[in-house]
Amino acid sequence: MSRVKDVDTVAPDDPIVNPQPSSPKKTVTSVTLSAPVVEAVVPEEVVPELAEKIYSVFGHTTTPFSSSLVMPKIFSFTEKNDNETILLALRSHWFTNVPWVLTFIVMLFVPNLIGFVPTISLAANLKIIISLSWYLITFAYAFEQFLSWYFDVFIVTDHRVVDIDFNNLLDKKFSEADLARIQDVTSRVSGVSQTIFNYGTVLIQTAAEKNELVFEKVPNPDKIVKVLQDLRHVAEKDNNGGLE
Amino acid sequence: MIENVGLYLHLFEKFAVVLGTILYLIFAIIISKQTSMMSKNVNDKFNYVLITAAYLHLIFSIILVLLSLVIL
Repeated sequence: MSRVKDVDTVAPDDPIVNPQPSSPKKTVTSVTLSAPVVEAVVPEEVVPELAEKIYSVFGHTTTPFSSSLVMPKIFSFTEKNDNETILLALRSHWFTNVPWVLTFIVMLFVPNLIGFVPTISLAANLKIIISLSWYLITFAYAFEQFLSWYFDVFIVTDHRVVDIDFNNLLDKKFSEADLARIQDVTSRVSGVSQTIFNYGTVLIQTAAEKNELVFEKVPNPDKIVKVLQDLRHVAEKDNNGGLE
Repeated sequence: MIENVGLYLHLFEKFAVVLGTILYLIFAIIISKQTSMMSKNVNDKFNYVLITAAYLHLIFSIILVLLSLVIL
């Protein structure tokens, strides 16, 4: 039984009594003392307002190859709920692709360079097979690197934050955190290239068992932090609506 | 005797190259399957181009195996 009604005077050992949801979308999943575990749903009427806010921070994106897609129309993922709206989809900054693009260009010229080495003499038909194999390997290398960049995405929806990682071609990792479970969001930009091109890491501390979500090498980490903080406040406000 | 060594070396060379191209073909199959799987997981505007590229790569790998069997 609760001793107090006023939230400001809740003692640490007081059980948290969640109010009746103000809108039918809010769902109470469980009650703990350490963290509010109310499923965070940003009210639908707030989404356009939030979208405008995110547009003002990130601007509009016109290409599917952009590192930050704001309110993407076509973009989706398997675990997405029907009532969920994707607000932001992020990939690693384009500059992270430069090393493999350079390697790819060098690999393209390797067969020509081998021709200048006098000690290597191969039969003509073997040369054809080796050259074709090399170009296929070069393409596969670049393709795999591109796939890793393209499909490793960080998604912010009106419900949660999602991280989808394909570490290599055979390993998929899916992590998520409800917006209301986010406790702290920090960003880190370190090194010359990150400082010049403004990309870095965003760390999201959550109240969940696996308490950290990491968005690596994402563009404009400070803007992402701002957007996440805004969303968190909206989610918290909505969840605590009855208490205010 | 020396002629035989040359013949064996040629056979070994052919066997190694054909084996290599077959292994590469398996890798190409994995890439195309994985691209389809990734595209199902994360759906975006550009996915069909990636799937097409993966299958083109697979076709070229098959051609490479056939070519190595025919011209070596």
